[in-house]
Amino acid sequence: MNERLEHIKGRVRDREHRRWRQPAAPDVLAECEAQALSWPRRAARLTRRMCEAEIPVLYPDERIVFTRTVPSVPSVYSPEEWSELTAGCTLHESGPISNICADWGMALSQGLLGRRRVALETRERLAHDPLAVEFLDGAVESIDAVLALAARYERAAREAGRDDIAAILAHVPAHTPRTFHEALQALRLLQAAVWLSGHYHVGLGRFDQYMWPYLEADLRAGRLDVAGAEELLAEFFIALNRDSDLYPGVQQGDNGQSLTIGGVKPDGSDGTNALTHMVLRVALDTAMIDPKINLRLGPETDLDLLQLATELTRKGLGFPQYSNDAVVIPALTAHGYALEDARDYTVAACWEFIIPGRGMEVVNIGAVSLPAAVDRGIREGLGGGADLDTVFTYTAKDISRQVSALVEAYGQLLLPPAPYYSVLMDGCLEQGRDLSQGLRYNNYGIHGAGSADAADALAAVAKLVIEERRVGAAELIAALDADFQGYETLQRMLVDEAPKVGNNDDEADGMLGRLFDWFAEACEAIGDNGRGGRVRPGTGSAMYYLWLARGHEGMREPVVGATADGRGSGEFLSANLSPAQHARVRGPISVLQSFSKIDYTRICNGGPITMELSDAVFRDAESIRKVAMLVRTFARLGCQQLQLNTVNLDTLLDAKKHPERHKNLIVRVWGWSGYFCELAPEYQDHVIARHMYSAM
Amino acid sequence: MTTGIVFDIKEFAIHDGPGIRTTVFLKGCPLRCSWCHNPEGISREPQIMRSPAGERLAGARYTPGELAAILNGQADILRDNEGGVTFSGGEPLLQAQFIVETVDLLDDIHVLLDTSGCASEADLRQVAARCDLVYYDVKIVDAALHRRHTGRDNGPILYNLGVLGTLGVPYVIRVPLIPGVTDTDRNLADIATLARGAPGLLRVDLLPYNQAAGAKYAAAGMTYAPTFDPSAPVNANTRPFERQGVAVHVA
Repeated sequence: MNERLEHIKGRVRDREHRRWRQPAAPDVLAECEAQALSWPRRAARLTRRMCEAEIPVLYPDERIVFTRTVPSVPSVYSPEEWSELTAGCTLHESGPISNICADWGMALSQGLLGRRRVALETRERLAHDPLAVEFLDGAVESIDAVLALAARYERAAREAGRDDIAAILAHVPAHTPRTFHEALQALRLLQAAVWLSGHYHVGLGRFDQYMWPYLEADLRAGRLDVAGAEELLAEFFIALNRDSDLYPGVQQGDNGQSLTIGGVKPDGSDGTNALTHMVLRVALDTAMIDPKINLRLGPETDLDLLQLATELTRKGLGFPQYSNDAVVIPALTAHGYALEDARDYTVAACWEFIIPGRGMEVVNIGAVSLPAAVDRGIREGLGGGADLDTVFTYTAKDISRQVSALVEAYGQLLLPPAPYYSVLMDGCLEQGRDLSQGLRYNNYGIHGAGSADAADALAAVAKLVIEERRVGAAELIAALDADFQGYETLQRMLVDEAPKVGNNDDEADGMLGRLFDWFAEACEAIGDNGRGGRVRPGTGSAMYYLWLARGHEGMREPVVGATADGRGSGEFLSANLSPAQHARVRGPISVLQSFSKIDYTRICNGGPITMELSDAVFRDAESIRKVAMLVRTFARLGCQQLQLNTVNLDTLLDAKKHPERHKNLIVRVWGWSGYFCELAPEYQDHVIARHMYSAM
Repeated sequence: MTTGIVFDIKEFAIHDGPGIRTTVFLKGCPLRCSWCHNPEGISREPQIMRSPAGERLAGARYTPGELAAILNGQADILRDNEGGVTFSGGEPLLQAQFIVETVDLLDDIHVLLDTSGCASEADLRQVAARCDLVYYDVKIVDAALHRRHTGRDNGPILYNLGVLGTLGVPYVIRVPLIPGVTDTDRNLADIATLARGAPGLLRVDLLPYNQAAGAKYAAAGMTYAPTFDPSAPVNANTRPFERQGVAVHVA
């Protein structure tokens, strides 16, 4: 980054820009009540007043503008009205539409004036339909609000002597961008207005696909060179980090500003382009938490691109996350997605596959606790004569019960109207329908959490209780009830002598496969989810690796105590697809082989194989290449999604404090790698110190 | 039936040879190098490693068939990634028969032997004949010094190095740089002389000593007693090799 960008980044890190923030959000409620506005009109009014309340901020060194000054999003209903409105209904998370993806490419290319024309044409055509008219009037109101905001920024730029910025804002987001610079500025405003409208987890979709035409034209015409383009891109990326503190999420940084690159085009040809590489280079250079990069790849993706991505992994930011087109696309088509749409998938806030502009999907209605299901299976199935099939039957039954309970809870799902977000979607303005009424895809997603622990528990029962008869059914259940207090020998046997997922062991992996098959069957059996969609099973755990073990207020999912894999009550469950925490595994190859055995055509809600690597493991160019090969191996083995984490200082410190949670943490010591937890304390300190120095 | 005793199998061992490799660590070693970083590899007997993370038994018995089955299960992946299998230790040649029988059961996989050379000529010959590459440690050329720091004569090691040069298997000489012991200009010059014009030699790798060598002793219930000053700086001097026209690389 050059000095200008360092300066801009420094301001964000120092929170200097926050001094422009106003003390409070505008009051929108009073006028909504005074005019007795409908919900759709209130939503549009909110967008309008939020845009109007924005005070233009222009830094002399900026080339892409918009700094948010309104600190929060006000309510459009009083608490009493709100509880009346939502009585008997389920709200998803905090209520507003979230975690979907706009068709940014369409919105950019049509421009807001183009979208406005579409709205007005439809309004004329559907003049007899009051609901459509109301929706379209709201959509136009929100479009006009964003255009007015751009116009105020344009005036402010003119007054500040920034004719360059004024000229850009005179053109976008109203019209089709003429340059890459204009496209970035337009996207900045269009996306910011989604946040201002109260939505969250606002993803950026397939950035290298919809932005490439603008960049390519600039490069071809000689208006811009690669260095100039990367500088603009860096400024755009930095801007996405300004308001992390204002975005709702489980943790700060959990804000869903995902950005997907690579993969095939809707016609099936390779979509990788120069911008794909630029995004990786610039993300490496800016090294901030947003945007979160998702790289789509296939078994044939070239190693150069993966090496560049590996450089980014080495930074320890936790991305890119990899999705394998060869597996994801068939899974989506098997779940009713048109092939062209499936090929156009992007990744939502965490890992879920969604279609930009075409999905009003709720990809995380909850989680199935696979360990709880196995626990139920063991207790009910081992009651009579110890017989594995009965354990299977009861486990499958419990999975099905959990899926039904979640879907039932969402039977009364209430999605608030979203007129501005609808402007950015395919078909809403064309049909006069708000996106909350549904888009082309209206599926639900459910996480399948704790899968490795659950599979290990089944494998332990199969081997030690059924096959070898070394453990009695009643004894096992008593041990689980006692959280292994007084059953330590049995616990050791469960941990040490039963097969574990992550070792390419067919016994344990077979159980994993069964669990996901039962999960898929349970979801398939639901049929319609009540919104014209299906229920998609996934392999992620989100925060449920903690919640399902220890409970969480308001959680619908069951909590599980000690489990038959030897895991004590309250201990973390496996995160996403990873071996159980206390399971010893040989390494990444076996882990990939284990997880490649899942039938991913039936599992399409995403959830990555999650691995931690020490950043010292890939210090030189040769090792970077080998890590890139590991990523390619993931794709070639037919796994679905991969998250490689560089071990950072916090992990090492936690490993020192809680070694039992980090048995497989490998650190590079000399010309060799060792298990961190087996190193004597002073050597652990040495490794920590080294990481501390390398982090500096 | 032949069995082997293995103290670890490590996947994605990216520093143990070309490409992505799986390394098999064979238990037992005739040398007692005071800088040894794998203390659990010294004794032939299984031993318990105790750490705050719990206990683990280092040392499991495998038949050649069992080990080959694990490795063959990864053969496609290792091959696809320009890698293969590395036999390390301990001193793998102490279990030469086990390696031979295992390698004979392997699918087409690149095999690397990582040896101290402290073994019988016959064992070196029969294993090296089945390898695609050998990593061969040369620590100290001076006989007395070698005895003092490793507890063994280097006669067989230097002799076997000569044998290796006649086998037609490419090899790399690896020199752990131990401060004041192996990294003296004199010793490096001696090694460079040995290496000059040696047939089949690809290069010399210099591996600088790291403070963490003694890290696993406590877990193995052993005491780390270096015969040198571990905090002294390492002399990674490549000049002696360059002077002799020997390719050299500092890892």
